[in-house]
Amino acid sequence: MDYSRPELADKLAAEYALGTLRGPARRRFENLLPAHPSLRRATSDWERRLDTLTASTPSVTPPPRVWQGIQSRLFGASDALQASGGHIGQMASDAARSVVRWWERLALWQGAAGVATVAAITLGVMLAQPVPVQPPIVVVMGAQSEAAGNGIQPASFVASVSGDGRSLVVKPLTEGQTVALNKALELWAVPAQGAPRSLGVVSQHNATTVLRTALLKDTAAFALTVEPPGGSPSGKPTGPIVSVGKLQL
Amino acid sequence: MAPLPDAADRSQALAELLSRIALGDRAAFDRLYRDTSPHLLGVILRIQKDRAQAEDVLQEVYVNVWRSAQSFNPALSQARTWLNSVARNRAIDSLRRRQSEPQTLSRFQAGPDEDDTDMLQDIAADTPGPLELLEQASDARALKDCLRGLSGEQQHSLALAYYQGLTHAEVAEQLGHPLGTVKSWVRRGLQGLKNCLERASLALS
Repeated sequence: MDYSRPELADKLAAEYALGTLRGPARRRFENLLPAHPSLRRATSDWERRLDTLTASTPSVTPPPRVWQGIQSRLFGASDALQASGGHIGQMASDAARSVVRWWERLALWQGAAGVATVAAITLGVMLAQPVPVQPPIVVVMGAQSEAAGNGIQPASFVASVSGDGRSLVVKPLTEGQTVALNKALELWAVPAQGAPRSLGVVSQHNATTVLRTALLKDTAAFALTVEPPGGSPSGKPTGPIVSVGKLQL
Repeated sequence: MAPLPDAADRSQALAELLSRIALGDRAAFDRLYRDTSPHLLGVILRIQKDRAQAEDVLQEVYVNVWRSAQSFNPALSQARTWLNSVARNRAIDSLRRRQSEPQTLSRFQAGPDEDDTDMLQDIAADTPGPLELLEQASDARALKDCLRGLSGEQQHSLALAYYQGLTHAEVAEQLGHPLGTVKSWVRRGLQGLKNCLERASLALS
């Protein structure tokens, strides 16, 4: 489908905001949003048009356990305990502690990146421009051989980010099947601390362009993981890391 | 109780909280949760009727807000609209999980005490149903007038889809009309709403 056709973009955005765009079509639409500013604009317009309908929805105060759960998922043990001051918080924080989330250990990332061929090259291709422009940043994302198996054959990718941090192009460096057919590759911006941000599903074979407002903000590395078709359902990486590259600004 | 600041001030205050949250300000996050979670849980519960699942969705919403507050663009949307959309989308996603489990579609839904409740009866009951909510929500004069301009079927289809998270097929079942007819009510209803709202904003400017 040609998503640049305004009538189609508007129709899809309307059904998305209303909630009647469902199933695989809804996931496809969400995956397109990051790279299509016109779709994003059409979606925001429809969300605004329909939003007045939520104004009279009766409020329902959530029980304290919801806030405790959020605290323990985001900030881990001590704060959840502090927030609850009770047994439930203790149990929740124990659970949080037992699952050490891999992306929060950047040391591991750095080690993995050291093994792989990682280079960050700053290109001075804009020298001829009369106005000084920030040069793009190129990151080589080395294949992670540990992730091989189960139909997954890790490959190296190269990511180039525009100097203003607003657009990124990622493409495979090597030929060959990277993931099994019924899986997708998802790109993540990994901060030094905290959870990675999804930059969407990318092609295994061709260049994929990602447009965001601040791709480089707090980003310490880019990584690709293997996810279910359409990308991680939870917004957090779930599959093995097939390639990773650290930023050296 | 202090007088409620008007909607524009509230939205501005929320936008400020979101920009502080994008910088990792946990006090701002705490404040945002206290200010907005009862409304968002209400929004989620209209779509995801299971209370425990709705609370899980609410949790996901705020985890998501903390992690992606920097993706909120005040030039593109109002803070409240952005939060409502995050909540609605997560609630609809939770229905997707439910629908992947085998179930029969019916206008009768399992009630809180295992008794089946007829959703059409529910709509007609004293508690505000989708149509009443639609009217109450039409405070914004333009939207109210524009909704009135739609046919009854178009209004009803939009209300069921928007408030209860029903699919085209579920709306068709609720209203007892063929799927194709309902799809066209929804499409024409949306188009009519858009045309009317655009005319209204042109008339104002």
